[in-house]
Amino acid sequence: MGVSQDKSGFADFFADSWEPCLTVVAASTGSMALAEDQVAEAFARAWASWAKVSRHPAPRAWVVRTALNTGASWWRRRGRETPLANHDIAASHSQGNGLDAVVLTALRRLPARQRQVIVLRVFLDLDIGTTARQLGIAPGTVRAHQARAMTALRRELAAARATTEMER
Amino acid sequence: MNDHEQMTDSVLTRELRQSLTGITAPQRPPLETITARGRAHRRHRLTGIAGLSAAGVAAGAALVLGLTGVLGSAPARDTGTIRTAAFILVEHANGTATLTINPTELLDTAALQNDLRHDGIRALVTSGSFCSSDPAPDGFSQVVSFYPPPRSGFVRLPKGLRPTITFNPAAMPAGTELSFGVFQLTPHQQVDFVLVYTSSYTCTSTPPSGGPQGPGALFQVDPPNPAGS
Repeated sequence: MGVSQDKSGFADFFADSWEPCLTVVAASTGSMALAEDQVAEAFARAWASWAKVSRHPAPRAWVVRTALNTGASWWRRRGRETPLANHDIAASHSQGNGLDAVVLTALRRLPARQRQVIVLRVFLDLDIGTTARQLGIAPGTVRAHQARAMTALRRELAAARATTEMER
Repeated sequence: MNDHEQMTDSVLTRELRQSLTGITAPQRPPLETITARGRAHRRHRLTGIAGLSAAGVAAGAALVLGLTGVLGSAPARDTGTIRTAAFILVEHANGTATLTINPTELLDTAALQNDLRHDGIRALVTSGSFCSSDPAPDGFSQVVSFYPPPRSGFVRLPKGLRPTITFNPAAMPAGTELSFGVFQLTPHQQVDFVLVYTSSYTCTSTPPSGGPQGPGALFQVDPPNPAGS
């Protein structure tokens, strides 16, 4: 593959995938500004390894996972890989970029691995096998994480709705 | 899993996917910004690999010659790229240049000014002071673009993220240069950018606050690591 052909393939991928990847990462991190930088960094790394990434079975998943890994170290440094406090929920309401505060809070309360599985399986619609390869875990482990995550999300969203009803 | 739970899962899946539909994504950055950043990664990897094999020989030679300090301070250069610990400056074929700053390293303002000028960017890079013209020349946004983009001229970067600045020297109005002031404040460092008239500007040691008054940009980033850490 020549350099120009290579770049044109990457340009198409970047144009088609920027928004879907950004929305998924923003929903996972809760911050559009942070997601923007993480996704830009992930696309830069994708270009640096384009020979490999272009042959990846799910290049968007590669970008999303790289973006989330970039952010994970940032969250760890800030001690934020823990459940959110109420002020974070209020902050997400005021961002004005369409992030659903209730879903966002529920997602952020999941352990990191469960959240990654939800991002890949639900948001990127990957099958179990691809998700397992992407995360380097067994398909059975993906199923287990997904089941636990869905149970937790159901519980969180139901509790959030009940609170909203009581406040009315 | 029973039928009821399966049905609930599909409803939940739909609800989760729908939660993404309301998100307003900002405009994607220019492709050139991404590929420049990617090339810097690629070069960094290659430099690292080359460095592993060369390091032993170079370190031995430095010990014999007593040149360790010189080796540590020399920027790495290849075609169109200048790399130091504090910044990477990439010159592109179309005449633009991209600067990526590593905020964890103390910026050598004299070296950056020289390197920008080497790439055709007339710059006045100062530490602990900031120069501006009143009124400021027009055309700042044609000369400089930033990633992440400042909002109302201001951006506060989370720790670990590196700002990328793209310069278009061909768009610089005649008789102007780019003023680039770096302040080490507590608890952050601040970098201010404006265009100035080469023949008429004043400098102050007071850092601008709350974003630039006219066309320009202000970045706040975490302070560099203490020397030796």
